[in-house]
Amino acid sequence: MTSTTTKTETKLLPGDLAIWMFIFMELLVFGIFFIAYAVMRSQNIEMFNHYQLTLNRELGAINTLLLITSSYFVVRAVQAIRSNNVQACIQWLYAALVGGAGFLVLKTFEYSDKFSEGINLSTNTFYMFYLSLTMFHFLHVILGMVILFAIIIKARAGAYTGKNHTGIETGASYWHMVDLVWIILFPLVYIIR
Amino acid sequence: MDYPLSVGVYHSMKNFYNVHTIWLLMVALTLTTYAVGQLGFSGLGVIFFVLLTTLIKGAVIIRDFMELKGVSLIWQLIMYGWLSAVCFAIATAYYISV
Repeated sequence: MTSTTTKTETKLLPGDLAIWMFIFMELLVFGIFFIAYAVMRSQNIEMFNHYQLTLNRELGAINTLLLITSSYFVVRAVQAIRSNNVQACIQWLYAALVGGAGFLVLKTFEYSDKFSEGINLSTNTFYMFYLSLTMFHFLHVILGMVILFAIIIKARAGAYTGKNHTGIETGASYWHMVDLVWIILFPLVYIIR
Repeated sequence: MDYPLSVGVYHSMKNFYNVHTIWLLMVALTLTTYAVGQLGFSGLGVIFFVLLTTLIKGAVIIRDFMELKGVSLIWQLIMYGWLSAVCFAIATAYYISV
């Protein structure tokens, strides 16, 4: 006797499960940082509003566009490898790296501008949050770029195919997490008041 | 074959919703956020609006870029839960301070 059952297929997480545990931990840390910023601001509204205006909003917006676009390129890289197009995958990953590098250059420019004015972590509570939050994120961008570069090297060596590309999905997931965090950081620190 | 209008609209929307248009949507929302800051808008309404655009962008990244659509419910809860909780906490902190 046969029976017909309706079964909803549950998709597997893209990439390695370990990276998702790591992403979860990272998001928790950033989440606490964001909430701490919002709470501290509620106790120092005038100071936070005043110093927020000293930030370069244009660079913040351009950096957001760079990370979003870089994330989009990584999506294209994953699509390419699923079609077994290794060459296109590598090219999209290089494009994503350029986006990340652009972010780092602009952020470095922002930091040097602030440091030349004598601003540092102990200047005031706003700058303590601004510098520590964005620098913590800055380090994640660097780590993400190192991961993407390692993937490119492996892809060039022929390690990935249309059927075997877990490594690319793993790196892609981490890079999207870096983007996701900045998506919240930008309006929180640069815009809302 | 004739489809009801609603089916036609659904298929059109489905065809329009892809990684390219998602990227364009996020660019548009980012420029909107920037414009809000540049025009000097402030207040609770503006804060909620900006947080709503942030929530949309975050949800799109989780669903379509991170590809969590259709994965186990626990991971969807973790990711969307994190995004919602952070945005809600920020909104609450700003609401209380006004």
